[in-house]
Amino acid sequence: MMKKGILKSLIKLINTEPQFNEQSNLESIELKKQDISIQYERNLATFKTIFSVPKNIDVKTREFTIRSFNRRAFIIYFGTMADHDQIQRSIVEPLIENEQPLSGIRDIVSFPVEKTSTNIGEITEYVTSGNTALFVDGDHQCYVFETTKIQGRSIEKSDNEVIVKGPKEAFNEKIADNMSLIRKKIKNENLIIESHVISKRSRNDLLLVYEKDLVNDELLQKIKSRLCSIDKDSISDLNLLEQFLEERPRSLFPTILNTERPDRAVSFIEDGHIVLLMSNSPSCLILPATFWALFHSPEDHYLRAPYGNFIRILRFIALFISVFSSSFYIAVTNYHVGMIPPDLLMAIAGTRERVPLPSIVEILMMEFAFELIREAGLRVPSPIGPTIGIVGALILGQAAVQANIISPIVIIVIALSGLSSFIISDVSMNFAIRMTRFLFIFAAGFLGAYGAAALFIVGLFYLVSLKSFGTPYFAPMTPHFFSGKDLIIRHVPMKERFRPGYLKPKDVVKQRKGST
Amino acid sequence: MNQQPIKLGIREYVSIAVLMVGAKAMEDTPAMLFKQVHNAAWMIPILSGAFFFITLFLLLKTLSVFQDKNLFVVIQLLLGRFLGFIVCLLIFLIFSFAISIDTRTYTNIINTFYFNTTPKQVIYALLMAVCAYGAKKGIQHVGSVAYLLVFYAALSMALALFLSTQDSNIQAMLPIWGTGKLEIMRNGVLRISTFADFFLLAMLIPLLKSNKEFRKGTWIAYVSVIIQISVSVLIFICMFDNSLEGIGYPFHTAIRYISLGSYIPNIEIVFFVIWILAAIIRFTTLLYIIAMMFGHIFKIKDFEYLIPSLAAVYLLIGSIPESTIDVSLKLKLYLTYTIGPMLTAIAIILWLAALLKGEFKHAKNKNSM
Repeated sequence: MMKKGILKSLIKLINTEPQFNEQSNLESIELKKQDISIQYERNLATFKTIFSVPKNIDVKTREFTIRSFNRRAFIIYFGTMADHDQIQRSIVEPLIENEQPLSGIRDIVSFPVEKTSTNIGEITEYVTSGNTALFVDGDHQCYVFETTKIQGRSIEKSDNEVIVKGPKEAFNEKIADNMSLIRKKIKNENLIIESHVISKRSRNDLLLVYEKDLVNDELLQKIKSRLCSIDKDSISDLNLLEQFLEERPRSLFPTILNTERPDRAVSFIEDGHIVLLMSNSPSCLILPATFWALFHSPEDHYLRAPYGNFIRILRFIALFISVFSSSFYIAVTNYHVGMIPPDLLMAIAGTRERVPLPSIVEILMMEFAFELIREAGLRVPSPIGPTIGIVGALILGQAAVQANIISPIVIIVIALSGLSSFIISDVSMNFAIRMTRFLFIFAAGFLGAYGAAALFIVGLFYLVSLKSFGTPYFAPMTPHFFSGKDLIIRHVPMKERFRPGYLKPKDVVKQRKGST
Repeated sequence: MNQQPIKLGIREYVSIAVLMVGAKAMEDTPAMLFKQVHNAAWMIPILSGAFFFITLFLLLKTLSVFQDKNLFVVIQLLLGRFLGFIVCLLIFLIFSFAISIDTRTYTNIINTFYFNTTPKQVIYALLMAVCAYGAKKGIQHVGSVAYLLVFYAALSMALALFLSTQDSNIQAMLPIWGTGKLEIMRNGVLRISTFADFFLLAMLIPLLKSNKEFRKGTWIAYVSVIIQISVSVLIFICMFDNSLEGIGYPFHTAIRYISLGSYIPNIEIVFFVIWILAAIIRFTTLLYIIAMMFGHIFKIKDFEYLIPSLAAVYLLIGSIPESTIDVSLKLKLYLTYTIGPMLTAIAIILWLAALLKGEFKHAKNKNSM
């Protein structure tokens, strides 16, 4: 402990933060703390400077006279973020045309949602998120209309988590759409959608979604305090936020589930998890996440129990094949030759006879080539896509064998492990599996089965010690908790009677015994 | 983040205990048993299990009076500060010696059976490094890993034993009394060290949810381990018969012998992997408990930081003997014959002390109130 302390202070001494010659924005911060004036001219000038009006082309201001009061007024909004027609039809026109002397703005304007505010900073925030602000001469407050209309993609099919049976829609970049996708699946007043602002400069919105009567308050508090502790100018995307939230950002294995399927998010909310949504991100984060959440696919539950379990077991085997097949090949051919049946051994030896490289180099070369093909296939523009496959398979495979650079059996091994790795659908988990594969190749190359076994158990020690917001990675299997017993094998839905106990939900039992 | 540590569940505890003691069937214990009592070797685990039952029963009874206190605390409470210290130190030293010898034995097995050309030091160092890493993660995590592995370990062990029966001869059991009934009794008493690890597990009591869970878990593990060791010794006897005397590590010879049909002649690597995983769990737990003892004796609260250095010390001690024969025939024998009686004596002394001090009555009164 002591040593660490000394080391830390030494490092601190060396790595001092460099001094920057920054310009102070104290003036504008002070300005934002003030209230608006009742003088029309002054307000106009203030907001024109705040929004740099002539320079900033999409900020629209419009000055007019409210006929019924006979007072000057102006509105300010972003033309690119607000609904122009709506503003014209329901705010400006009534104000200009109405002649009857009425008591207030609310009675004239037909636009429904309205807030009032006096603080300059707050109004600025509203306007930047697409609202329209109305200032009236002589009035000490400002009227805000929610006129936001942002351009974006409509709700589309899920691309990355494809399933055959079950709902197809996916989250998109519009946060209002995402909210409604969740809300329409849980018709319950206890579903809470709470808003948070997480960064200081860009003021990125974040929504916390949970069920009030399920979620554990301690967990909720923990997540909120973690969110508050983030001190950053801008976090523009949910995937960036994911890295800020994780306890071990350098770890190979993910501890937060990132999904683009609303049905999946909903099923987790109904178990007492907390879901984070962010504007501009077509996905959501589910906290806390265990190994099982990352390993499962929503289709496991949509299919009938035997079919769902069939693909579960398939995936489980694929997980092992993709991690161990290459290292197994290396261990067996280099250290434990006796394991191979004599006939097969002769065949392998025959094909390897003219290959000049050691088998570990062969395997590494091919693994590397496979990863290259995979990455290239992703990045290449879609019309050329199929070509990459042909080039990869034909040229790299066939030609490399003919050129005696690698032996044919290596191609089988690599193809098997590569193919299996596609079965893990979660992107982060997929990466983790692919990268551990390389570690195992080195371990097996170093000490055969003993090296691989040692690495395996070290990996297990590491994995069980991982925690996602206090939840152990392999919960509820070990340490044991009450749960729906949905681990490697899932039961029929009637038997899944409990919510996961590691979340300590307020209501553990989903279905009382004998109620079917 | 401040999180209170999750307690060791009963599943995890039983898995640790089963892997820890069950591993004995897969090293040189069966061969050593055979040397003394020949064909009756399979009775010894049952007999010593029965003898050790008394020790364990007394120990658990004594410990149950002190809720949520570990073995060392109880020893010091009952025997006083000075005597308690001496006894604790004795236990610590004996098990330190035992872990060094045992890890060395396992290194020898790996070296002679699977990696003949790899330097012993590399194998040994890797084993200790892995154990130190695991132990430093804490016993809860060791327990979790043990639980994840225990089913596969049991399954593969059962498969190996099942495959071994194909070429064995049940008549090898005869003569049923081996070298004689008296000899069996004598060895049954001497061999109670096989189960000595249960004594150590009493250090983990405060980490479990309750004392009751500890007792329950211990009995489950105890019975299953006795059956497991006895059955495997019996199968080895049926398989090798008299030649068992000349075999150092029957499990490893057996898995080299068996085959899966005629097409896959050698499957020992599969069993080797499972075996080494179980062995690592065993030593990790041992290392953790010994570090805990050390921390307790010398009043070091954060004993987890000691684990790497302790592992290094045991690695050095284990490297001292020059040959395999020295280790498994001489040193291990001394150890086996001292540990059993010593622990029994300690258990009885503790029980007597508790009885004389009136702790049992005291607890009873407390309960009835």
